[in-house]
Amino acid sequence: MSEHPQIEEMFDEYALGVLEGEEKRSFESHVKGCPECSHKLGEARARVALLALSAPQAHPSPAAKERLMDRVRAYRPPASPARLRAPFWGWGVPLLAAAVIVLAIATVLLVRRNHEMEQRLKDLQGQVVLIQKRETAEMARARTVLEILTSPRTLKVSLVAAPAHPVPQGKAFYNPQKGLLFYAANLPRLPSDRTYQLWLVPAQGKPISAGIFATDEHGNGEVLLPSLPPGITAKAFAVTVEPSGGEPQPTGKKVLIGAVS
Amino acid sequence: MSTIAYSQEDRASDLDLIRRLAQGDESALATLYDRYGGVVYSVALRVVKDAGVAEEILQDIFYHLWRHASDYDASRGGLGAWLFVSARNRAIDRLRQRKPPDGPKEEESLPSGFNLESQVAQAELMSRIKSAMDGLPVPQRQALELAYFEGMTHSEISQRTGEPLGTVKTRLRTALQALRQVLNP
Repeated sequence: MSEHPQIEEMFDEYALGVLEGEEKRSFESHVKGCPECSHKLGEARARVALLALSAPQAHPSPAAKERLMDRVRAYRPPASPARLRAPFWGWGVPLLAAAVIVLAIATVLLVRRNHEMEQRLKDLQGQVVLIQKRETAEMARARTVLEILTSPRTLKVSLVAAPAHPVPQGKAFYNPQKGLLFYAANLPRLPSDRTYQLWLVPAQGKPISAGIFATDEHGNGEVLLPSLPPGITAKAFAVTVEPSGGEPQPTGKKVLIGAVS
Repeated sequence: MSTIAYSQEDRASDLDLIRRLAQGDESALATLYDRYGGVVYSVALRVVKDAGVAEEILQDIFYHLWRHASDYDASRGGLGAWLFVSARNRAIDRLRQRKPPDGPKEEESLPSGFNLESQVAQAELMSRIKSAMDGLPVPQRQALELAYFEGMTHSEISQRTGEPLGTVKTRLRTALQALRQVLNP
Protein backbone atom coordinates (compact mmCIF):
# COMPACT_ATOMS: atom_id res chain seq x y z
CA MET A 1 0.00 0.00 0.00
CA SER A 2 1.18 3.53 -0.74
CA GLU A 3 2.29 5.83 2.08
CA HIS A 4 0.00 8.01 4.16
CA PRO A 5 -0.24 11.58 2.84
CA GLN A 6 2.68 13.47 4.35
CA ILE A 7 0.83 16.73 4.85
CA GLU A 8 -2.32 16.96 6.94
CA GLU A 9 -3.72 19.79 4.80
CA MET A 10 -3.94 17.40 1.84
CA PHE A 11 -7.16 16.01 3.31
CA ASP A 12 -8.64 19.50 3.31
CA GLU A 13 -7.28 20.16 -0.18
CA TYR A 14 -8.91 17.01 -1.49
CA ALA A 15 -12.19 17.83 0.27
CA LEU A 16 -12.05 21.31 -1.23
CA GLY A 17 -11.55 19.80 -4.68
CA VAL A 18 -8.35 21.62 -5.63
CA LEU A 19 -6.12 18.58 -6.13
CA GLU A 20 -5.72 17.31 -9.68
CA GLY A 21 -3.74 14.92 -11.84
CA GLU A 22 -1.30 12.49 -10.32
CA GLU A 23 -1.48 14.11 -6.87
CA LYS A 24 -5.22 13.50 -6.79
CA ARG A 25 -5.00 9.95 -8.12
CA SER A 26 -2.38 8.79 -5.66
CA PHE A 27 -4.27 10.40 -2.77
CA GLU A 28 -7.47 8.62 -3.79
CA SER A 29 -5.86 5.26 -4.27
CA HIS A 30 -4.25 5.42 -0.83
CA VAL A 31 -7.35 6.61 1.02
CA LYS A 32 -9.52 3.91 -0.54
CA GLY A 33 -7.53 1.21 1.21
CA CYS A 34 -6.74 3.05 4.46
CA PRO A 35 -9.50 3.30 7.10
CA GLU A 36 -7.50 5.78 9.16
CA CYS A 37 -7.07 8.18 6.25
CA SER A 38 -10.61 7.73 5.08
CA HIS A 39 -11.78 8.79 8.55
CA LYS A 40 -9.50 11.83 8.37
CA LEU A 41 -10.95 12.66 4.99
CA GLY A 42 -14.46 12.54 6.47
CA GLU A 43 -13.38 15.03 9.11
CA ALA A 44 -11.81 17.28 6.48
CA ARG A 45 -15.02 17.17 4.43
CA ALA A 46 -17.02 18.19 7.48
CA ARG A 47 -14.56 21.00 8.17
CA VAL A 48 -14.51 22.29 4.59
CA ALA A 49 -18.33 22.03 4.43
CA LEU A 50 -18.46 24.72 7.11
CA LEU A 51 -17.05 27.25 4.63
CA ALA A 52 -20.68 27.39 3.47
CA LEU A 53 -21.24 29.51 6.57
CA SER A 54 -18.98 32.20 5.10
CA ALA A 55 -21.42 32.88 2.24
CA PRO A 56 -23.17 36.24 2.68
CA GLN A 57 -26.43 35.50 4.49
CA ALA A 58 -29.43 35.55 2.16
CA HIS A 59 -33.04 34.54 2.67
CA PRO A 60 -35.15 32.59 0.20
CA SER A 61 -38.63 33.97 -0.46
CA PRO A 62 -41.38 32.53 1.78
CA ALA A 63 -43.02 31.27 -1.42
CA ALA A 64 -40.08 28.88 -1.95
CA LYS A 65 -41.01 26.98 1.21
CA GLU A 66 -44.67 26.84 0.18
CA ARG A 67 -43.74 25.47 -3.23
CA LEU A 68 -41.53 22.85 -1.62
CA MET A 69 -44.27 21.75 0.76
CA ASP A 70 -46.78 21.61 -2.13
CA ARG A 71 -44.38 19.40 -4.05
CA VAL A 72 -43.87 17.23 -0.99
CA ARG A 73 -47.62 16.79 -0.49
CA ALA A 74 -48.09 15.99 -4.18
CA TYR A 75 -45.58 13.14 -3.99
CA ARG A 76 -47.26 11.50 -1.00
CA PRO A 77 -48.68 8.20 -2.29
CA PRO A 78 -52.48 8.37 -2.25
CA ALA A 79 -54.21 6.03 0.20
CA SER A 80 -55.43 3.06 -1.82
CA PRO A 81 -59.23 2.96 -1.80
CA ALA A 82 -60.82 -0.15 -0.35
CA ARG A 83 -62.07 -2.31 -3.08
CA LEU A 84 -65.82 -2.76 -3.35
CA ARG A 85 -66.95 -6.29 -3.70
CA ALA A 86 -70.34 -6.70 -5.37
CA PRO A 87 -72.44 -8.63 -2.83
CA PHE A 88 -74.73 -10.06 -5.44
CA TRP A 89 -75.71 -9.75 -9.03
CA GLY A 90 -79.12 -8.68 -10.24
CA TRP A 91 -81.44 -5.73 -9.71
CA GLY A 92 -79.49 -4.36 -6.78
CA VAL A 93 -76.42 -3.53 -8.90
CA PRO A 94 -77.69 -0.31 -10.59
CA LEU A 95 -79.04 0.92 -7.24
CA LEU A 96 -75.77 0.16 -5.52
CA ALA A 97 -73.83 1.84 -8.34
CA ALA A 98 -75.95 4.98 -7.97
CA ALA A 99 -75.43 4.98 -4.22
CA VAL A 100 -71.68 4.59 -4.68
CA ILE A 101 -71.59 7.52 -7.11
CA VAL A 102 -73.54 9.76 -4.73
CA LEU A 103 -71.28 8.71 -1.87
CA ALA A 104 -68.17 9.28 -3.96
CA ILE A 105 -69.25 12.79 -4.94
CA ALA A 106 -70.09 13.60 -1.34
CA THR A 107 -66.72 12.24 -0.22
CA VAL A 108 -64.82 14.27 -2.80
CA LEU A 109 -66.64 17.42 -1.74
CA LEU A 110 -65.96 16.74 1.92
CA VAL A 111 -62.31 15.91 1.32
CA ARG A 112 -61.86 19.07 -0.69
CA ARG A 113 -63.55 21.17 1.99
CA ASN A 114 -61.44 19.49 4.64
CA HIS A 115 -58.30 20.20 2.66
CA GLU A 116 -59.23 23.88 2.32
CA MET A 117 -59.80 24.14 6.05
CA GLU A 118 -56.49 22.43 6.76
CA GLN A 119 -54.71 24.79 4.41
CA ARG A 120 -56.23 27.84 6.08
CA LEU A 121 -55.29 26.49 9.47
CA LYS A 122 -51.71 25.89 8.29
CA ASP A 123 -51.45 29.40 6.85
CA LEU A 124 -52.62 30.87 10.16
CA GLN A 125 -50.22 28.68 12.13
CA GLY A 126 -47.41 29.74 9.84
CA GLN A 127 -48.17 33.41 10.50
CA VAL A 128 -48.25 32.88 14.27
CA VAL A 129 -44.89 31.04 14.18
CA LEU A 130 -43.33 33.84 12.12
CA ILE A 131 -44.50 36.50 14.57
CA GLN A 132 -43.30 34.44 17.53
CA LYS A 133 -39.89 33.91 15.95
CA ARG A 134 -39.43 37.60 15.25
CA GLU A 135 -40.40 38.49 18.81
CA THR A 136 -38.13 35.83 20.29
CA ALA A 137 -35.14 37.15 18.32
CA GLU A 138 -35.78 40.75 19.38
CA MET A 139 -36.29 39.79 23.01
CA ALA A 140 -33.13 37.68 22.97
CA ARG A 141 -31.11 40.63 21.67
CA ALA A 142 -32.59 42.98 24.26
CA ARG A 143 -31.89 40.45 26.99
CA THR A 144 -28.27 40.01 25.88
CA VAL A 145 -27.77 43.78 26.03
CA LEU A 146 -29.24 43.82 29.55
CA GLU A 147 -27.17 40.83 30.63
CA ILE A 148 -23.95 42.45 29.45
CA LEU A 149 -24.77 45.62 31.35
CA THR A 150 -25.66 43.80 34.58
CA SER A 151 -23.40 40.74 34.63
CA PRO A 152 -20.64 40.81 37.27
CA ARG A 153 -18.38 39.13 34.71
CA THR A 154 -18.66 42.03 32.29
CA LEU A 155 -15.58 44.22 32.08
CA LYS A 156 -16.17 47.96 32.06
CA VAL A 157 -13.43 49.88 30.32
CA SER A 158 -13.28 53.64 29.95
CA LEU A 159 -11.45 54.95 26.92
CA VAL A 160 -10.02 58.46 26.87
CA ALA A 161 -8.38 60.52 24.19
CA ALA A 162 -4.73 59.66 23.67
CA PRO A 163 -3.79 63.34 23.58
CA ALA A 164 -6.63 65.46 24.99
CA HIS A 165 -8.58 67.62 22.57
CA PRO A 166 -12.25 68.58 23.35
CA VAL A 167 -12.78 65.38 25.37
CA PRO A 168 -13.57 62.46 23.15
CA GLN A 169 -14.37 59.44 25.24
CA GLY A 170 -15.63 55.89 24.89
CA LYS A 171 -17.02 53.15 27.06
CA ALA A 172 -16.75 49.46 26.31
CA PHE A 173 -18.77 46.77 28.06
CA TYR A 174 -17.18 43.48 27.18
CA ASN A 175 -18.25 40.02 28.18
CA PRO A 176 -16.10 37.36 26.48
CA GLN A 177 -19.04 34.94 26.27
CA LYS A 178 -21.87 37.32 25.43
CA GLY A 179 -20.38 40.12 23.42
CA LEU A 180 -19.38 43.74 23.28
CA LEU A 181 -21.20 47.06 23.65
CA PHE A 182 -19.35 50.27 22.87
CA TYR A 183 -20.38 53.90 23.09
CA ALA A 184 -18.32 56.92 22.13
CA ALA A 185 -18.94 60.63 22.61
CA ASN A 186 -17.40 63.95 21.46
CA LEU A 187 -15.53 62.44 18.55
CA PRO A 188 -14.52 64.95 15.86
CA ARG A 189 -16.35 64.77 12.54
CA LEU A 190 -14.43 62.82 9.89
CA PRO A 191 -14.07 63.52 6.15
CA SER A 192 -16.44 61.37 4.06
CA ASP A 193 -13.70 58.96 2.98
CA ARG A 194 -12.74 58.10 6.59
CA THR A 195 -14.46 56.06 9.27
CA TYR A 196 -13.94 55.20 12.92
CA GLN A 197 -13.02 51.58 13.59
CA LEU A 198 -13.16 49.82 16.96
CA TRP A 199 -10.51 47.22 17.86
CA LEU A 200 -10.37 44.56 20.48
CA VAL A 201 -6.72 44.05 21.43
CA PRO A 202 -6.48 40.47 22.68
CA ALA A 203 -4.09 39.33 25.42
CA GLN A 204 -2.26 37.47 22.66
CA GLY A 205 -2.14 38.11 18.93
CA LYS A 206 -3.14 40.91 16.61
CA PRO A 207 -5.99 43.37 17.16
CA ILE A 208 -9.41 42.08 16.06
CA SER A 209 -11.79 44.43 14.29
CA ALA A 210 -14.99 44.96 16.24
CA GLY A 211 -16.55 46.93 13.43
CA ILE A 212 -16.65 50.42 11.97
CA PHE A 213 -19.00 53.13 13.15
CA ALA A 214 -20.12 56.64 12.24
CA THR A 215 -20.86 59.53 14.55
CA ASP A 216 -23.86 61.83 14.74
CA GLU A 217 -23.71 65.64 14.80
CA HIS A 218 -22.72 65.57 18.51
CA GLY A 219 -19.86 63.17 17.85
CA ASN A 220 -21.68 60.19 19.42
CA GLY A 221 -21.25 56.70 18.00
CA GLU A 222 -21.88 53.12 19.04
CA VAL A 223 -21.08 49.50 18.18
CA LEU A 224 -23.54 46.96 19.58
CA LEU A 225 -22.92 43.22 19.61
CA PRO A 226 -20.42 43.04 16.72
CA SER A 227 -19.54 39.59 15.43
CA LEU A 228 -16.46 38.49 17.41
CA PRO A 229 -14.93 35.09 18.05
CA PRO A 230 -16.25 34.00 21.46
CA GLY A 231 -14.07 33.67 24.55
CA ILE A 232 -11.32 36.11 23.61
CA THR A 233 -9.46 37.62 26.58
CA ALA A 234 -9.18 41.35 25.96
CA LYS A 235 -6.14 43.39 26.92
CA ALA A 236 -7.38 46.71 25.60
CA PHE A 237 -9.83 48.44 23.29
CA ALA A 238 -8.94 51.12 20.81
CA VAL A 239 -10.54 53.31 18.17
CA THR A 240 -8.64 54.34 15.06
CA VAL A 241 -9.45 56.43 12.02
CA GLU A 242 -9.39 54.28 8.86
CA PRO A 243 -10.30 54.58 5.19
CA SER A 244 -14.09 54.13 4.78
CA GLY A 245 -15.08 50.49 4.83
CA GLY A 246 -12.47 49.74 7.50
CA GLU A 247 -9.23 47.78 7.44
CA PRO A 248 -8.33 44.23 8.51
CA GLN A 249 -5.62 45.66 10.80
CA PRO A 250 -5.32 49.16 12.26
CA THR A 251 -3.42 51.59 10.01
CA GLY A 252 -4.62 54.99 11.16
CA LYS A 253 -4.28 57.30 14.12
CA LYS A 254 -5.47 56.00 17.51
CA VAL A 255 -8.11 58.42 18.78
CA LEU A 256 -9.24 56.44 21.81
CA ILE A 257 -7.51 53.74 23.76
CA GLY A 258 -8.36 51.96 27.00
CA ALA A 259 -6.60 49.10 28.72
CA VAL A 260 -8.53 46.50 30.66
CA SER A 261 -7.75 47.15 34.30
CA MET B 1 -26.66 32.35 32.87
CA SER B 2 -29.88 32.13 30.91
CA THR B 3 -30.33 30.59 27.52
CA ILE B 4 -32.38 31.82 24.64
CA ALA B 5 -35.72 30.07 24.45
CA TYR B 6 -36.68 28.17 21.33
CA SER B 7 -39.86 26.37 20.49
CA GLN B 8 -40.17 22.66 21.23
CA GLU B 9 -40.03 21.83 17.52
CA ASP B 10 -36.66 23.51 17.08
CA ARG B 11 -35.08 21.31 19.72
CA ALA B 12 -35.86 18.01 18.01
CA SER B 13 -32.57 16.39 17.00
CA ASP B 14 -31.68 15.86 13.37
CA LEU B 15 -31.76 12.13 14.05
CA ASP B 16 -35.38 12.27 15.26
CA LEU B 17 -36.38 14.50 12.36
CA ILE B 18 -34.84 12.15 9.81
CA ARG B 19 -36.71 9.23 11.36
CA ARG B 20 -39.96 11.17 11.19
CA LEU B 21 -39.20 12.12 7.57
CA ALA B 22 -38.78 8.47 6.68
CA GLN B 23 -42.26 7.86 8.14
CA GLY B 24 -43.70 10.58 5.89
CA ASP B 25 -44.00 13.38 8.46
CA GLU B 26 -44.06 16.64 6.47
CA SER B 27 -43.62 18.84 9.53
CA ALA B 28 -40.19 17.29 10.13
CA LEU B 29 -39.12 18.48 6.68
CA ALA B 30 -40.43 21.97 7.43
CA THR B 31 -38.33 22.04 10.62
CA LEU B 32 -35.18 20.93 8.81
CA TYR B 33 -35.87 23.53 6.15
CA ASP B 34 -36.11 26.25 8.81
CA ARG B 35 -32.92 24.94 10.41
CA TYR B 36 -30.68 24.64 7.35
CA GLY B 37 -32.54 26.23 4.40
CA GLY B 38 -31.00 29.66 5.00
CA VAL B 39 -27.40 28.47 4.68
CA VAL B 40 -28.23 26.09 1.82
CA TYR B 41 -29.81 28.97 -0.06
CA SER B 42 -27.02 31.42 0.80
CA VAL B 43 -24.25 29.12 -0.44
CA ALA B 44 -26.17 28.30 -3.63
CA LEU B 45 -26.81 31.98 -4.28
CA ARG B 46 -23.15 32.87 -3.63
CA VAL B 47 -22.15 30.29 -6.27
CA VAL B 48 -24.76 30.78 -9.00
CA LYS B 49 -25.55 34.47 -8.30
CA ASP B 50 -29.14 34.00 -9.48
CA ALA B 51 -31.96 33.95 -6.92
CA GLY B 52 -34.24 31.82 -9.14
CA VAL B 53 -31.63 29.13 -9.72
CA ALA B 54 -30.61 29.21 -6.04
CA GLU B 55 -34.22 28.62 -4.96
CA GLU B 56 -34.47 25.74 -7.41
CA ILE B 57 -31.37 24.15 -5.87
CA LEU B 58 -32.73 24.72 -2.38
CA GLN B 59 -36.00 23.02 -3.29
CA ASP B 60 -34.32 20.12 -5.05
CA ILE B 61 -32.11 19.38 -2.07
CA PHE B 62 -34.95 19.28 0.43
CA TYR B 63 -37.23 17.41 -1.95
CA HIS B 64 -34.47 14.86 -2.47
CA LEU B 65 -34.11 14.53 1.32
CA TRP B 66 -37.88 13.94 1.55
CA ARG B 67 -37.85 11.26 -1.12
CA HIS B 68 -34.71 9.50 0.13
CA ALA B 69 -34.87 10.05 3.89
CA SER B 70 -34.85 6.30 4.51
CA ASP B 71 -31.53 5.97 2.61
CA TYR B 72 -29.85 8.57 4.76
CA ASP B 73 -27.97 7.01 7.64
CA ALA B 74 -28.42 9.76 10.20
CA SER B 75 -26.39 7.93 12.84
CA ARG B 76 -23.34 8.91 10.79
CA GLY B 77 -24.06 12.44 11.91
CA GLY B 78 -23.53 15.73 10.19
CA LEU B 79 -26.82 16.27 8.37
CA GLY B 80 -26.17 20.01 8.30
CA ALA B 81 -22.71 19.58 6.81
CA TRP B 82 -24.10 17.06 4.34
CA LEU B 83 -26.76 19.53 3.18
CA PHE B 84 -24.11 22.24 2.78
CA VAL B 85 -21.95 19.90 0.69
CA SER B 86 -24.95 19.02 -1.49
CA ALA B 87 -25.79 22.69 -1.95
CA ARG B 88 -22.24 23.55 -2.95
CA ASN B 89 -21.92 20.57 -5.31
CA ARG B 90 -25.24 21.15 -7.05
CA ALA B 91 -24.60 24.87 -7.38
CA ILE B 92 -21.13 24.35 -8.85
CA ASP B 93 -22.55 21.74 -11.21
CA ARG B 94 -25.10 24.31 -12.35
CA LEU B 95 -22.42 26.97 -12.67
CA ARG B 96 -20.26 24.68 -14.77
CA GLN B 97 -23.14 23.01 -16.60
CA ARG B 98 -22.33 19.55 -15.34
CA LYS B 99 -24.82 16.79 -14.71
CA PRO B 100 -26.11 16.94 -11.12
CA PRO B 101 -25.13 14.02 -8.91
CA ASP B 102 -27.92 11.89 -7.53
CA GLY B 103 -28.46 10.37 -4.14
CA PRO B 104 -26.55 10.72 -0.91
CA LYS B 105 -23.17 9.10 -1.34
CA GLU B 106 -21.32 6.91 1.06
CA GLU B 107 -18.22 8.96 0.39
CA GLU B 108 -19.99 11.98 1.74
CA SER B 109 -20.07 10.54 5.23
CA LEU B 110 -19.27 13.48 7.48
CA PRO B 111 -18.20 12.49 10.98
CA SER B 112 -18.61 15.99 12.28
CA GLY B 113 -18.07 17.15 15.82
CA PHE B 114 -19.74 20.44 14.99
CA ASN B 115 -23.23 20.96 16.24
CA LEU B 116 -25.30 22.86 13.74
CA GLU B 117 -28.66 21.81 15.14
CA SER B 118 -29.29 24.83 17.31
CA GLN B 119 -29.57 28.27 15.76
CA VAL B 120 -27.30 29.69 18.46
CA ALA B 121 -24.52 27.18 17.77
CA GLN B 122 -24.92 27.76 14.02
CA ALA B 123 -24.63 31.53 14.50
CA GLU B 124 -21.56 31.16 16.72
CA LEU B 125 -19.83 28.91 14.23
CA MET B 126 -20.77 31.33 11.46
CA SER B 127 -19.15 34.22 13.30
CA ARG B 128 -16.00 32.14 13.95
CA ILE B 129 -15.71 31.19 10.29
CA LYS B 130 -16.43 34.71 9.09
CA SER B 131 -13.85 36.28 11.36
CA ALA B 132 -11.32 33.62 10.33
CA MET B 133 -11.99 34.53 6.68
CA ASP B 134 -11.80 38.24 7.47
CA GLY B 135 -8.46 37.64 9.17
CA LEU B 136 -6.89 36.06 6.09
CA PRO B 137 -4.69 38.15 3.78
CA VAL B 138 -6.71 39.08 0.68
CA PRO B 139 -4.87 36.77 -1.79
CA GLN B 140 -5.34 33.75 0.52
CA ARG B 141 -8.98 34.50 1.00
CA GLN B 142 -9.49 34.99 -2.72
CA ALA B 143 -7.87 31.63 -3.50
CA LEU B 144 -10.03 29.88 -0.92
CA GLU B 145 -13.19 31.52 -2.28
CA LEU B 146 -12.37 30.60 -5.88
CA ALA B 147 -11.89 27.00 -4.76
CA TYR B 148 -14.93 26.77 -2.55
CA PHE B 149 -17.50 28.92 -4.34
CA GLU B 150 -16.39 28.38 -7.92
CA GLY B 151 -15.10 24.84 -7.66
CA MET B 152 -11.70 25.69 -9.15
CA THR B 153 -8.63 23.45 -8.90
CA HIS B 154 -5.10 24.63 -8.11
CA SER B 155 -4.23 25.21 -11.75
CA GLU B 156 -7.54 26.90 -12.56
CA ILE B 157 -6.97 29.35 -9.71
CA SER B 158 -3.45 29.95 -10.98
CA GLN B 159 -4.82 30.72 -14.46
CA ARG B 160 -7.53 33.00 -13.12
CA THR B 161 -5.27 35.00 -10.80
CA GLY B 162 -2.14 34.92 -12.94
CA GLU B 163 -0.13 33.70 -9.92
CA PRO B 164 2.38 30.84 -10.25
CA LEU B 165 0.97 27.41 -9.33
CA GLY B 166 3.35 27.04 -6.37
CA THR B 167 2.20 30.36 -4.90
CA VAL B 168 -1.45 29.33 -5.23
CA LYS B 169 -0.77 26.02 -3.47
CA THR B 170 1.06 27.69 -0.61
CA ARG B 171 -1.65 30.28 -0.18
CA LEU B 172 -4.43 27.73 -0.06
CA ARG B 173 -2.49 25.51 2.31
CA THR B 174 -1.90 28.42 4.68
CA ALA B 175 -5.56 29.42 4.49
CA LEU B 176 -6.65 25.84 5.23
CA GLN B 177 -4.25 25.71 8.18
CA ALA B 178 -5.87 28.85 9.57
CA LEU B 179 -9.31 27.30 9.13
CA ARG B 180 -8.17 24.17 10.98
CA GLN B 181 -6.89 26.26 13.85
CA VAL B 182 -10.15 28.12 14.19
CA LEU B 183 -12.15 24.90 14.14
CA ASN B 184 -9.87 22.88 16.43
CA PRO B 185 -9.44 25.15 19.42
